Amino acid sequence: MSSYRKIDILTRVEGHGSVELIRDGGRVVDACLHLSESPRLFEALLIGRRFDEIPDIACRICSICSTVHKVSALQAVEQALAVSISRQTGLLRELAVQGGQIESHALHVFCLALPDYLGVNGIQGLAAHELEKLQLGLRIKKLGNLIQETIGGRAIHPFNLIVGGVGEVPGSEKMQHLKDQLAGVRDDVTASIAYVSGLNDILPPLSMHPACAVSGGPPLFGNCLVTSTETIAANSAAAWLDEQVEASTHAKVSRFGGKAPFLVGPLARLTLAMPAAYAHYFTDTSIRSATKARVIELQLAVERAQLLVDLLLNDGLEKEQPVVAIAAQGEGTSVMEAPRGVLLHSYRFDDRGVCRAADIITPTSINQGAIALSLKELIVAMDGAEYEQIRAAAEILVRCYDPCISCAVH
Amino acid sequence: MKKLRVAIAGLTACSGCQLSLLNCEDELPRMLELFEFHYFPMASSPALMEGEYDAVLVEGCLSMPHEKELLQELRRRSRYLVALGTCAVCGGVAALRNGEEREQLRQSVYGENQVASETYEPLPLHRVVQVDAAVTGCPPEKEELLRLLAGLARGVLPVAIDYPVCTECRMRENLCLLTERSALCLGPLTLGGCSARCPSLGVPCEGCRGPVPEANLAEALEIYAEKGFDKATVRDRLRRFCPEWKL
Repeated sequence: MSSYRKIDILTRVEGHGSVELIRDGGRVVDACLHLSESPRLFEALLIGRRFDEIPDIACRICSICSTVHKVSALQAVEQALAVSISRQTGLLRELAVQGGQIESHALHVFCLALPDYLGVNGIQGLAAHELEKLQLGLRIKKLGNLIQETIGGRAIHPFNLIVGGVGEVPGSEKMQHLKDQLAGVRDDVTASIAYVSGLNDILPPLSMHPACAVSGGPPLFGNCLVTSTETIAANSAAAWLDEQVEASTHAKVSRFGGKAPFLVGPLARLTLAMPAAYAHYFTDTSIRSATKARVIELQLAVERAQLLVDLLLNDGLEKEQPVVAIAAQGEGTSVMEAPRGVLLHSYRFDDRGVCRAADIITPTSINQGAIALSLKELIVAMDGAEYEQIRAAAEILVRCYDPCISCAVH
Repeated sequence: MKKLRVAIAGLTACSGCQLSLLNCEDELPRMLELFEFHYFPMASSPALMEGEYDAVLVEGCLSMPHEKELLQELRRRSRYLVALGTCAVCGGVAALRNGEEREQLRQSVYGENQVASETYEPLPLHRVVQVDAAVTGCPPEKEELLRLLAGLARGVLPVAIDYPVCTECRMRENLCLLTERSALCLGPLTLGGCSARCPSLGVPCEGCRGPVPEANLAEALEIYAEKGFDKATVRDRLRRFCPEWKL
């Protein structure tokens, strides 16, 4: 190999990574993804901390995904300590997670990905040339944050979600406000689907990876992983994903016991359980359709959130104290869907309720194998193209996976 | 009017401080009129530093060799350098086991493999460069961020907050979680400015904004002891966001 050059920093993604393009003479012959974010060593930070501290610390893994990290950690802790939460707490958490889904997808589609389709540099370019589209996305994003704030007390690192329940139950006035805002955003979401599904593809079609998603609960929740052929129980999921340390990345890589890498995230969720109404948008299910999958999921999230708000309003939003958790020895594993795909939190506690083992597996680390294969395929598909074209396409391709590198490395 | 040139960079962190800025959905279009976010890899391409900046906002702590170089480069190019968020100001969550053997922590995650062996114990920005202003919090408050930007647009830096979370908590007439409910609330020792966000919903302050200047640690420890919290418990809780607490 005569020379290589890195895409210095991947931009318009969360966290720090790069793509290395390997050249042989004038030709780009290979591409490698490096997730070079500095590890904060979360699994080590959590050891020695009491059970009630775990969700508060673990949610700091990532800001965009902080609500789902919080809920996932809470579920694992509560399972370990045999705490049963109320129906109301369950509904509130589910609603908060849908809020996170809405915020994350709107951020990605309208602030991070859209500039690729429109040929502008990012939010600054959007504000200058496509202000209405940026504002359309920001209105949806704001609603996602409003949901997270109403339930979690804050859009990022939601402190009001605690072991056994919530700090303060949001009142029916606040819930009614959410109901109105959700109804108000429906037209924006419909317009987004029409707009995004009409954008011209900017990448060649690439092979589809086998899909994997969480199943067995309400949307985004569950107790197992499913693929088109297998069902894997939550407590076997870590072994099935089979994370290994590799030299080129700070994020552990899922090896799936030597099988071909799986895709997790919006496109995987939809291809495994496609609602009939949206099937016609996905005649092409290669990764370039992921942006479309995100706007469809925006619709699904808003619909689900409306249903949850109605259930909570009908139930009456009772003030309630969190269920008291008693320190005890135990283990718990939660699997759920973060905006970018399968998220696993698993903890073991000693008889004083102190954390003795922690394992966190995140969607972007799982997707590394799929991204690597897509990059190699892109290089072949673009053989003969100018270096700068390949470089730009490689970055857009990685962005289709909406990587969250703070999560991946943690 | 000439737009102010601003750089926004993230080091070792969760991107929450940068996201807090992007979460100003109503203000963002106006912000993009007033400022040129020239270097802002999370939201703009390419990641290319060029020329001088009126201000640079830096999220995160330092834990990798190249981060120090990046920070020094940003410092050289900028009139003001603002530490954005608790990681940048105090070290933050990533630093909560500072003082322990880093290699052992690394190995507990990566095993014998040498992956990430060049990383080091997280440091706040002021240990490496001069910091002109700080907006603390995990995450920072949106209003504080907007005040910072509004100030920068007028050429001034924000006035540093010097009162604890308790001050705002009392103004909101909240029940005191420490004295009335015997909860380990860090409000007395933690920098205010958040309108006592957590205690107002009955959730004890976890100290996410770092220490208030001239915190009366001795007196607080006495109250915590009366409520049944030993020194080690209080220390661990305080160090969740700031390893520099000495007790």
